[in-house]
Amino acid sequence: MGWTLRRVAVAVAEGSLLVMSLAADSVSEKAKKLHFSSIVMDTHDDTTQRFLDPKFDLGVRHPDGSIDIPRMKEGGLTGIFFSIWIPSKITGPEAVKRASEQIAAVREQVSKHPKEIVLATTAAEVRAAKKQGKIAALMGVEGGHMIGNDLEVLRSYAALGVRYMTLTHSGNDEWADSSTDKPVHNGLTDFGEDVVREMNRLGVIVDISHVSDKTFYDVLEVSKSPLFATHSSCRAICNAPRNMTDQMIKDLAAKGGVIQINYHVSFLSQEFRDAEKKDPSINEGISKEVKKRCPDEKDEACQLIEGDKITREYVAAGKLPKVEWTKIIEHIDHAVKLVGADNVGLGSDFDGANMPYGMEDVTMIPKITGALLEKGYSESDIRKILGENTLRVMSEVERVSRELNGKK
Amino acid sequence: MRAARLLAALTLFLVVLVLPGTILLGDDISERAHKLHFSSIVLDTHDDTTQRFFSKTYDLGKRNPDGHVDIPRMRDGGMNAIFFSIWIDGRTMGPPAIQKALDQIDAVQQNVKKYPNDLVAARTAEDVRRAHAQGKIAVLMGVEGGHMIGNDIRMVRIFSRLGAGYMTLSHFYNDEWADSSTDKPAHNGLTDYGKEIVREMNRQNVLVDISHVSDKTFYDALEVSNAPLIASHSSCRALCNHPRDMSDGMIKALAAKGGVIQINYEKSFIDEAYRTASERVSGGVVAVFDQFKKECGDDQECLGRKMTEMEKQATAEGKVPHVSWERIVDHIDHVAKLVGPDHVGLGSDFDGATMPEGMEDCSKLPKITEALMRKGYSDDDIRKILGGNLLRVMEQAEKVSREMQAQN
Repeated sequence: MGWTLRRVAVAVAEGSLLVMSLAADSVSEKAKKLHFSSIVMDTHDDTTQRFLDPKFDLGVRHPDGSIDIPRMKEGGLTGIFFSIWIPSKITGPEAVKRASEQIAAVREQVSKHPKEIVLATTAAEVRAAKKQGKIAALMGVEGGHMIGNDLEVLRSYAALGVRYMTLTHSGNDEWADSSTDKPVHNGLTDFGEDVVREMNRLGVIVDISHVSDKTFYDVLEVSKSPLFATHSSCRAICNAPRNMTDQMIKDLAAKGGVIQINYHVSFLSQEFRDAEKKDPSINEGISKEVKKRCPDEKDEACQLIEGDKITREYVAAGKLPKVEWTKIIEHIDHAVKLVGADNVGLGSDFDGANMPYGMEDVTMIPKITGALLEKGYSESDIRKILGENTLRVMSEVERVSRELNGKK
Repeated sequence: MRAARLLAALTLFLVVLVLPGTILLGDDISERAHKLHFSSIVLDTHDDTTQRFFSKTYDLGKRNPDGHVDIPRMRDGGMNAIFFSIWIDGRTMGPPAIQKALDQIDAVQQNVKKYPNDLVAARTAEDVRRAHAQGKIAVLMGVEGGHMIGNDIRMVRIFSRLGAGYMTLSHFYNDEWADSSTDKPAHNGLTDYGKEIVREMNRQNVLVDISHVSDKTFYDALEVSNAPLIASHSSCRALCNHPRDMSDGMIKALAAKGGVIQINYEKSFIDEAYRTASERVSGGVVAVFDQFKKECGDDQECLGRKMTEMEKQATAEGKVPHVSWERIVDHIDHVAKLVGPDHVGLGSDFDGATMPEGMEDCSKLPKITEALMRKGYSDDDIRKILGGNLLRVMEQAEKVSREMQAQN
């Protein structure tokens, strides 16, 4: 469908999300040109869990999941943060071991495809990868429980190439409260503050997705570098504790940080969330079915991917509402209206969440560029949202790190 | 004053006469030996000083009243390349072993950072040569015991990436995949997984260290490894019949594949009379270690202190004989006579063993150069023994690693 025709379709549809999404499903030449010439970053992907299967090959197109090299190319993704993640109930040395294995697994996948993907740890390396036509792979540790309460381990992760750490996952860790657990530390402990300062020194971006509101404010005060919310959306639209309030987004932005919008349906849509809450048997049923399909408790990859499939089966059966990908645009637009285009980006949560319709995998992301163009966003603002904001924070974090290490 | 000097000279003369075979005394180093020693790369492949990095009283940058190694004394002794050992007791296995190893690797890195004018991290032979040219001490690391990878080949990649230049396949006890020389055989040498690990070490440019392993493990590793092996701290069984030392047959087989035996200065490994006496007194190294482990727990400094105290007392009471540092030279000479000067080097075990008299710390190293010179070794051969041989093995291992990675 051509540019004019779609505008007509949108005009005719007037607010009908379904029609609008169908129309926007084909991306204009102009949008494609903008998208594929931009640095497009995604700050959160859980594909790493699949790397633990020695047979998994990132280099070939997979019928399931959302991420692989062919589809990243097709979606015009420049840089991807592979998440290093284990459940927050696993702590201490076991957590350190498993996190280290995942770091090794990411590095292995990258080293197997040197022509297509390259490990990056700085904004300059991401740009260099783009110039060479390669995808930049980065790493983020999703949860402070993985450092085993130990700054030495944090430094080891940094030395191995990790460039952000989420301070908690869904449970509190030893030194920070999570947004989805009962507070025990009143935010960040003294040691937690040391962790944040050490991250600043190391040039590891502090990620406040998952943490409690109090932890967020504690971090904002302690950190000398701007923060990321690597995969969080807006609470004003969908009232999930994992999302950020308008005030938090404003405070984050005031210190130069970026909120990277998460595509998980339960964080995008209040309607979806309400339906889940109204009938708790739905999530119980999904969990039960996941356990059935993934008998190996440790097979997180299976659980994440099957969870997404089963949720869709519930949607198809009419038990849960259908959430369209355009909800992502609503969240981006909300944050932009609130604080401007400098403080918003993309943190999909691909392979770790339930994707909305029309955003089944990374090949769909040019639609975001198309939708923002249609909303009248300038090309320069769109480039910022797609990746430049992320690179700006990375550069700033690198600068602060150099300064704290006494280098110019 | 003059009379005193005369008396001193006379005493010296008498002692030289009384102790046949003792050519050198004290710090009597010729100009020529001094010049040769201080212009050479002097590389020590095994030092346990890392354990002291966790002590509040120890400072690598200052001259310490105890122990064997610190920067001022390394400077005095012309030691300009050192492998700090990453070591925990072989009975700590699994994830806790991994976390503690990461802690130690970081502790070494932090020291390098703390003393940038004296120390520089090195991973390759070229790095060592560059450090030498800059007048700095090259800091390398060796993981002393395969138990620290937590039975996971991926950890070889992690340790390699973090700077570990070699890994000893076992410590005093068998690990999950290799038999130790001081434990009851459980695997008949290397298991299949152990062989895979050796090949992965080749691929990751981590030198395979066969000190500590059983004879069968040694021969298995020799067969599997694509790169030459090192014994990072072992001496000659022909002179001192300890399982930790190598038989002439083993040394020949090691040399035939280009490897190097790095002579350990531990009295129980270099002097047969001392070994038998000390085994009568204490039941041998492993028994002593086990005893003190009970008393000291994880406090490695305590362990070292206890061993030194015990050893001093036994010597004072005449229960064990005195051992001269010249036994080190005897071991070097034995290997050189057996397989030539290309396959022997220095692996002191400073800060992890009981030193012979006259080799109280690393400042005494020039005496080795002097002794070899007096024995008629050429300058070239002495340089090889001091460090050149090990650099040659590193270069070969680097080449093998590049080739294996290119095949991938």
